Amino acid sequence: MKRLTIIVSVLVALSIMLAACQPAATQPPATEPPATEPIVTEPPVVEPAAPTEFPRGETLYVSGAAWGPASTWNPFQPGSLANTTGTIGYVYEFLFSFDPLTGEFIPWLAESGDWADATTYEVTLRDGLTWSDGQPLTSADVKFTFELGQQYAALWFSPLWRYLTGVEAVDDTHLKFTFTDPLYQEWGNYLYNLPIVPKHLWENRTEEEITTGANEKPIGSGAYLYLSNAEDRNIWERNENWWGIDVFGKPAPKYIVDIRFSSNNVALGSVLKGEVDLSNNFLPGVATLVDKGYVKTYFAGAPYMLSANTAVLFLNNTKKPMDDPAFRRALAFAIDVPSIVNVAYANLVKAASPTGLLPSLSRFDDQAVLAELGYTFDTEKAKAMLAAAGYVDVDGDGFVEAPDGSAIALEVTCPNGWTDWMAAIDIIASSAQAAGINIKSAYPDYGAWNTALQGGTFDMTLNNWAGMSNTPWTLYNLLFRHPIQDQMQSGNFGRYDNQEMFDLVDALAKVPVTDEEAMKAACSAIQELMLTDMPMIPLWYNGLWSQYSTSSWTNWPDENAADPTIPTTWSGYWQMGGLMTLINLKPVTP
Amino acid sequence: MKAQTKKNELLYFALRNKKLQVGLTIIFLFLVLGWVGPLLTHNEPFDYVYPLGAIPPSSEYWFGTTFFGQDVFSQFVHGLRATFLVGAIGGGIGTLIGMLVGFTAGYRGGIVDEILNAMTNIVLVIPTLAVLLIIAAYLEVRSILTECIFIGLTSWPWTARAIRAQTFSLRTRDFVDLARMSGMRSLRIVFSEIAPNMMSYLLLVFILQFGGAILNAATLDFIGLGPTNAISLGLMMQYAVLWGALQLGTWWWFIPPGLAITSIVGALYSMNVGLDEVFNPKLREM
Amino acid sequence: MKKYFGRKVVIYLLTFFLAVTIDWMIPRFMPGDPVRNMLARVSVNTNASAIEMMYDYYSHLFGLDLPLWQQYINFWKSLLHGDLGISTYLFPTPVTKVLLRAVPYDVFLLVPSVLLSWYAGNKFGAFAARSKWLDNTMSPLSYILTATPYMWLGILLAWFFGIVLGIFPIAGAYSFSMRPHLSWAFIGSVLHHWFLPFISIFLVEFGGQAIGMRNMIIYELEADYSHYLGALGAPRKLIRDYAFRNAILPQITGLALKLGVIVAGALVTEVVFSYPGIGYLLLAAIQNQDYFLIQGCFLFIIIGVLLANFVIDIIYILIDPRTRRGMTGETA
Repeated sequence: MKRLTIIVSVLVALSIMLAACQPAATQPPATEPPATEPIVTEPPVVEPAAPTEFPRGETLYVSGAAWGPASTWNPFQPGSLANTTGTIGYVYEFLFSFDPLTGEFIPWLAESGDWADATTYEVTLRDGLTWSDGQPLTSADVKFTFELGQQYAALWFSPLWRYLTGVEAVDDTHLKFTFTDPLYQEWGNYLYNLPIVPKHLWENRTEEEITTGANEKPIGSGAYLYLSNAEDRNIWERNENWWGIDVFGKPAPKYIVDIRFSSNNVALGSVLKGEVDLSNNFLPGVATLVDKGYVKTYFAGAPYMLSANTAVLFLNNTKKPMDDPAFRRALAFAIDVPSIVNVAYANLVKAASPTGLLPSLSRFDDQAVLAELGYTFDTEKAKAMLAAAGYVDVDGDGFVEAPDGSAIALEVTCPNGWTDWMAAIDIIASSAQAAGINIKSAYPDYGAWNTALQGGTFDMTLNNWAGMSNTPWTLYNLLFRHPIQDQMQSGNFGRYDNQEMFDLVDALAKVPVTDEEAMKAACSAIQELMLTDMPMIPLWYNGLWSQYSTSSWTNWPDENAADPTIPTTWSGYWQMGGLMTLINLKPVTP
Repeated sequence: MKAQTKKNELLYFALRNKKLQVGLTIIFLFLVLGWVGPLLTHNEPFDYVYPLGAIPPSSEYWFGTTFFGQDVFSQFVHGLRATFLVGAIGGGIGTLIGMLVGFTAGYRGGIVDEILNAMTNIVLVIPTLAVLLIIAAYLEVRSILTECIFIGLTSWPWTARAIRAQTFSLRTRDFVDLARMSGMRSLRIVFSEIAPNMMSYLLLVFILQFGGAILNAATLDFIGLGPTNAISLGLMMQYAVLWGALQLGTWWWFIPPGLAITSIVGALYSMNVGLDEVFNPKLREM
Repeated sequence: MKKYFGRKVVIYLLTFFLAVTIDWMIPRFMPGDPVRNMLARVSVNTNASAIEMMYDYYSHLFGLDLPLWQQYINFWKSLLHGDLGISTYLFPTPVTKVLLRAVPYDVFLLVPSVLLSWYAGNKFGAFAARSKWLDNTMSPLSYILTATPYMWLGILLAWFFGIVLGIFPIAGAYSFSMRPHLSWAFIGSVLHHWFLPFISIFLVEFGGQAIGMRNMIIYELEADYSHYLGALGAPRKLIRDYAFRNAILPQITGLALKLGVIVAGALVTEVVFSYPGIGYLLLAAIQNQDYFLIQGCFLFIIIGVLLANFVIDIIYILIDPRTRRGMTGETA
């Protein structure tokens, strides 16, 4: 047995070495000096060896963006797939940033951008932009990036080229985009969502490398540099030579450690221990945490969080009785949204506007349409509406039958394990039953749920894919995605097939972003038809889950801040104020 | 006459065995609680009875309420039923299949044994979670019964191995040889000669399978692959963890299900050892 | 004997082939489509036709647009070249890379806890079996340990030692303020983070091993040969040593199988202590229909289990002539 003890201790020692050295092997030198030293005006900086420890006072610990080990640093791969929040936003940047709280575009790489005429968009880049390897960032890089979409259909932005006809680099800082019949609303979206990549490092890559390559050790132009990653973390280091320091200020944390927790429960524990500065996990009991002073949130009281996206109940319009607008409207009145807000979420969310638009876009809500066609929870009214449309309880089982006498038995679903949604659909089912509609809740596994969602075999289900945006078109493009196909992968899951609506949404897409009155008119028409037909039911706004600790960093954004920013590490939000949050932070000096 | 005395003797030792007594008492108490408990509360396990959220145990809500204001006692007693069901059916199926495979492999030996052994190995290595997801997809919702059957169908290999080994040692005994010489068919030999001699052993195996099934079900529930339309002790734990019960101080939501499972399974193991001593006279002497 | 081994090898190869085939098939029976699940996470700004184009592109990339039989042949072809494919869940990471990055953590966690709990549990069980008094006082501890739902114990440990007392970390494999390097501080951090996950597995396993050993020893001590030895006046220690030697055989079987499935990781531990490892990734892979990662992972599990079994078979044959006779099917 002695021998066993020895073997065990050897094994232990061995595996420690393994665990210690294994990540180190895959990790590149932090900042390799470029092979060809560019001409820089500053004196060459001697790069210190990559640090092995991160001082607490200089390090920001965040969580809630990654759910698996880092897999790709390719900025053209969607961020939620990559598990490397920050690739898009820290490393790669955009022409503009967008502030969803004020609705303003903020020039970023671009100094300005304007429609010269109806089909020409002119961009002026800032002077002195550089890539982190020291090369200058010029209009050639921007042109190159946009043209990648023309070349490779597998890139998500390739459909832009249906109405973009050409990009011309007039000189190093001036670009001219020419269009035919542009979708102005969508173009606005591209301006702050398409990351610009360095031509000199990408032009010799193959199609496969560009569309699907992992792009390890990414080189971009942004405020942070890739430092290292391991199974449960990504580490970023401030780019001391970032061009934006003079323009926007220097981000306060020298290091950012983005932690992947295996569950929200562990995230909650780490928040309680004060080991995480910014948690974007969905944590239970936020009211308790705020009251006891463990965390701060954007609002000091309910709903605590900013609204991030709209939870919509999609109704399968191809199935009976959801093919009947009268039934769908009655259902909207039957759902107990106040209980979803109070019970399922403990007031962490807000009830949604019937138009589905987030509070940041509420100026596009047509109040007159809402007053006439909006819905509120009212069981009696729902019953009356059902009766008026011919839905009555014939067999006396407490549930209404369809006008043709057939029984109604429907199922409302969400993925198993999504506990807040599970509680919510329970309430949807029970409140609908109270109004006499036989709906039961069910929680299939994610894969099965997703198949049913895209394949259109569900009865009714929740979805929240349209987040913060510069335009109401983003939401309506999701809700009324067309044409109707076999697989609806990205919207209109209930297969609401109404050409009139599709035309209205297409018309909105072509309204110039500057013409807010015309946008309002287009939205109003959409909202009137939507609330009359009720093809889906917007219910509540999911929050931008965000809890911050002030033990090491202060000056977090909140409702009272003069110029609040978005406090999140979620992918896709860095260019919507997330980075400004980092710039505004102040270290707590002990 | 002889059988009668043997029975009495067993009963005598059974009644005097402390381990058996303790185990049986605990199991009995929980069985009663699971049986009458649901009659003592008018709250359904998932009803939101106390809309303001979690409150500690009180005279109205004996075990307090959950984050959503559901009655923990009601969930607990309904969960107990599920736990016993999983143990009985899941453990039962596991024992049954294990017996069939084990007897056949052990008695026949040779190529039959090899084939069954290969089959056992394959079941040991197939991705059971993936299989569970496939089953789930075709059933749309998972019930407790699905879980029982699933656990039964995947937990038999260990039992089969053990029974095979026991059968090996029995099949060379004189009485089996005698039976074979008298021209009895293999199947009859297994069931009339070998199985009765292993009756006590099979009972012990069943008790272990029972406990194992309960623990397996708790794990499945915890990782989110439990029943989707019912409550169980494992699901209670899962929900309690998801809603940070310990960290937020709602211990009354997290502690009871785990404590109940520990007590039940611990009591089963204690019973197992106690019964072992009852059946096996030599062990009593120690 | 030679003939016997030959047959064993053939049977193990057949089992391997069948098991791998079944593991190839099972994910493909799952509902849903890995590429659609992957694209469901793509930015919603993308419009419908772009997604269709991306769907075709990625299906082709993964070879999923081929007929099933062709996919199956390609699978074996690349397997023989050591290529396990590319994970869709962690796209575009190759499966081998996913495994190489995650499995060391499991080895580091599971090998010591399995071996130590096996060793300590067996010692403890044998010790408890010495006398009625010891048995009655020590064994109940084992019952309770092995009856505790593992995640419940783990969460209580993490909460009590990690949050209430604050003396152990509750997440990660080493401090989040460090990068791997060779120093005492780093090794200390690794061990500090490793301890709670380790001890939780150790405790539960320990209980099971102790009970198993206790039962086996008691059987052996009551066996005829022990009594015979006792009657001959052999010292008690000698009898116990014999009993221990006989009782340890089945325990070795259990140990070999446990070591065989280490590549499967420790899912619940990884979730409860947020410890890196393959268990969590495998569950995510299954939920995301990641055919390639599922296949790759189970390939190693199959190899591990079959190897363990093969080793056990050989040990038994060499040690115990009775089994040899039974296994080779010779009639008595």
